[in-house]
Amino acid sequence: MNTLKTFLEMISYRENLDREGFILRENKDDKIAGPDSGGKDADKETSDKPQAKKRNFIKPRRPAEINYGIPPGKTDSASSALEQNREAINKLYGLPDNKDIITRDFFLGMNTTYKSMAVFIDGLTDKSVLNMLFEALMLFAEPPDADRGKLAALVMKALLPGNQVKMISSFKDILAAVNIGDTVLFFDGCAEAVAVETKGWEHRGVEMPVTEQIIRGPQEAFTETLRANTGLLRKIIKNENLTTEFFVVGRRSQTPVAVMYLRDLANPALVDEVKRRIKSIKTDAMLDSGVLEQLIEDHPYNLHPTILATERPDRVASKILEGRVAIIVDGSPFVLTAPATMYEQLHTGEELYNRWQYGTFIRWLRAAAFLLSFLLPGLYLAIVLYHQEMLPTELILAIAGNREKVPFPSIVEVLLMELSFELIREAGLRIPGVMGSTIGIVGALILGQAAVQANIVSPILVILVAVTGLASFAIPYYSLAFSLRIYRFIYIALGSMLGFFGISMGLFAHVALAANLKSFGVPYLAPTGPKTSDWTDVVSVAPVFFQEKRPDYINPLDLTRQPKVSRGWIKGGGNQDD
Amino acid sequence: MIKEGKFGLAEAIILMAVSNVARVFLPYPRYLVELGGSAAWMTPIGGLAVTLVGAYIMSLVLKKNPDNTIIEITEEAFGSILGITFNLITIAFFISVCFLFVREFSEALITAALPETPISVIATVYIAIGLLGSYLGIEAIARSTRLTYIYVFGGIVLLLFALTPQWKFDNLFPVFGNGFFPIFGLGAFSTAAVTEIILAAVLVQAIGGADKYMRINFFAALIAFTVLGVLLAALVLTMGKEVATETSLPFYRLSRNIYLGRFFQRVEALFIIIWSIVGAIKIALTLYGASVSLARTLKLPDYRPLIWPLGLIVFIFSFLPPDLPTTMKLDTDFLRPFAHIPNYLLPLLILAAYWLKGRMRRAGS
Repeated sequence: MNTLKTFLEMISYRENLDREGFILRENKDDKIAGPDSGGKDADKETSDKPQAKKRNFIKPRRPAEINYGIPPGKTDSASSALEQNREAINKLYGLPDNKDIITRDFFLGMNTTYKSMAVFIDGLTDKSVLNMLFEALMLFAEPPDADRGKLAALVMKALLPGNQVKMISSFKDILAAVNIGDTVLFFDGCAEAVAVETKGWEHRGVEMPVTEQIIRGPQEAFTETLRANTGLLRKIIKNENLTTEFFVVGRRSQTPVAVMYLRDLANPALVDEVKRRIKSIKTDAMLDSGVLEQLIEDHPYNLHPTILATERPDRVASKILEGRVAIIVDGSPFVLTAPATMYEQLHTGEELYNRWQYGTFIRWLRAAAFLLSFLLPGLYLAIVLYHQEMLPTELILAIAGNREKVPFPSIVEVLLMELSFELIREAGLRIPGVMGSTIGIVGALILGQAAVQANIVSPILVILVAVTGLASFAIPYYSLAFSLRIYRFIYIALGSMLGFFGISMGLFAHVALAANLKSFGVPYLAPTGPKTSDWTDVVSVAPVFFQEKRPDYINPLDLTRQPKVSRGWIKGGGNQDD
Repeated sequence: MIKEGKFGLAEAIILMAVSNVARVFLPYPRYLVELGGSAAWMTPIGGLAVTLVGAYIMSLVLKKNPDNTIIEITEEAFGSILGITFNLITIAFFISVCFLFVREFSEALITAALPETPISVIATVYIAIGLLGSYLGIEAIARSTRLTYIYVFGGIVLLLFALTPQWKFDNLFPVFGNGFFPIFGLGAFSTAAVTEIILAAVLVQAIGGADKYMRINFFAALIAFTVLGVLLAALVLTMGKEVATETSLPFYRLSRNIYLGRFFQRVEALFIIIWSIVGAIKIALTLYGASVSLARTLKLPDYRPLIWPLGLIVFIFSFLPPDLPTTMKLDTDFLRPFAHIPNYLLPLLILAAYWLKGRMRRAGS
């Protein structure tokens, strides 16, 4: 009988009723008003108005209306009864479902009357520190005879070996402490808790910079840990005026953001403006400094970046020493510095570590690369399409001869190659490391050799695209290079439509728009537009002993970097070393 | 109050100088060669003197009310009806400069580089850039001028050096060309219109106030007239006065003449970049001047809403002349004599009005 049934089931048709498996239905309160409106009103609204007439549109809710998970009324102070505190913790963290949060019961000094509880998060805390903590509290502590209400203070002062200890009483502070890896201790009969610093999570060590490599100079890079990053900076600037201020951004992620500056150097108005912008941000998560950059920059609609991001501590230190402000976001190995100018985004810092002649050479080379990276394809098109007479006859004949077999117009040819190049770039970035060599073969053989042999593009264009690509890689700041990559296509369009006239009009508009940019009140093209007296470290690098002044456009509190004669050993230099 | 921004002395000088140089790239130098013959290079001397005197008178006028521009001062001096009439003349002057330049630069580009492009496309691009520049404001225009002037003057110097092998000094003789009156009389009358001291007087608050006005105009005029003189000399030296009077775009013709070995020849395309940028600066600046003057005349808090309608007016006006010769004739017969009214006559009239007012007040008391 059973066998027959199974057989029939195998050969007969039955409709699959569970076709979709899982459907994520819309929330009830997403459809109807906010959570505060209550069930009755919501039901009334749905029954009164027919569903079909409702627009598919969710009313934006103000942040105050959104419930971020903290039950109302539970953010108040801790109670003196241990059981009540435990209940509150269980409710707040969703215990026992939430397996990361550990509540550990123990008796202070092995005395059963002193019931205590520790709360911490597994994975964020250092196990050896925790072990030492429990050892001290359970084995070596003498149960005190003091008033139970003052137990927390006594434990903190007399019994705990932890290095950063503080007393807290509100659940808001308790949650904040536990969430960043501290251990919070509750004692029965005491309305206050003790937070002990036990942070210790898995993280990457300090490594070599990945995107900003230099030959001469420090080879350390920032990591994802905020404290390590501030430490890296403080290691370079050993100065009591170096100030680190903390802010918390992101209502859900509660990401710490640090602002670092030299108190006696950075312009207070600048520091206040940076702090004002960071404090004003209302968002739910801050995953990288790139997000913060977009939230605090002056001109989000212009292609040019107006904030500098770098992963090298020595560069950030040099910015802080000029009077700028550094912004470090926890979890991001890129530190922002503001204000930023375009010239600064074309520097690497290495020019100063090398001798000044080499630095100057590299900077001029980079200036040429800067222009080539967005102008070259457009100029080529303008010359080939409109201004053939500009080229010497032999060269134009060579180009024409090469182009003879190519079936496309020049503009299609250029766009084809540029798009392929952009594809190689993107694919080369995303390709898994083990397959890395494939991209070289694809790029070099297929797009170079084979495309020319198949008469899809002319050889001169391959050279041109390669040079443009090289020039664009020579630009040290990724965001700036990115903006120029996009500008390149605008100049291709202008050059192919209007020749040199189009390109010069594009340049004028580009320059006017860039000259209009401001980064935290500082013109983006400073110190050339507007012209200030700083010339020692813009395109040409002056010898280090000539760099007597800090950049004027940042308006630091102290403009002088070093006295007129900084080399005390030269003739007449010794008596001027004030 | 209209927010104009501020910039430094050097930026102001360069802005005014580049604005004054713009005419050099148009058919204008040809007219001067016609006027002065082999002594064409002397024609700017008289103009420079007139300009400096004019600028001095204008600075005296501006010092009567250092917190305001020439627009408010005109109204203060003549009362509202006559003052507004004079201000409208000034605005009409800016608009005529702007539309004639749009037309002449567009025509020049068609001759030099883009023979098959419709003129409306080129004029549209120029107007668009002018709108953008005047929308961004005088500060952005001044800064971009400061960043591009090196290439403009560098290009002119390069042109001069590249042409030296072709110079024939015989072409400069006779030394006084067509005689004293054409050179210094008519020349002064004509070249005095090259500078727009009224434009600087409208922008006086942005360029640093009435105190710096004279200094800025002195250097700007010096630079512009030197460039004009040197180019006229180069033109006559290279081609001789007969050929020079036959070219419609002398500067373009000069750059075509460059021949330094097989590789470096016919670089006129490079000069297209230079003049189109100078043209864009000039158009943006005059459009800005027109809209700011109008906003000040109408006492509006912002000039930006006026840019679009004024740009449209300029665009339409630029197509009214049927062809290039008519445009050039308009420039010679209408614009240049007209330029003397706001530039030189207006400040004199204002001074006279102030003087009369002072006398009447004294007589009354």
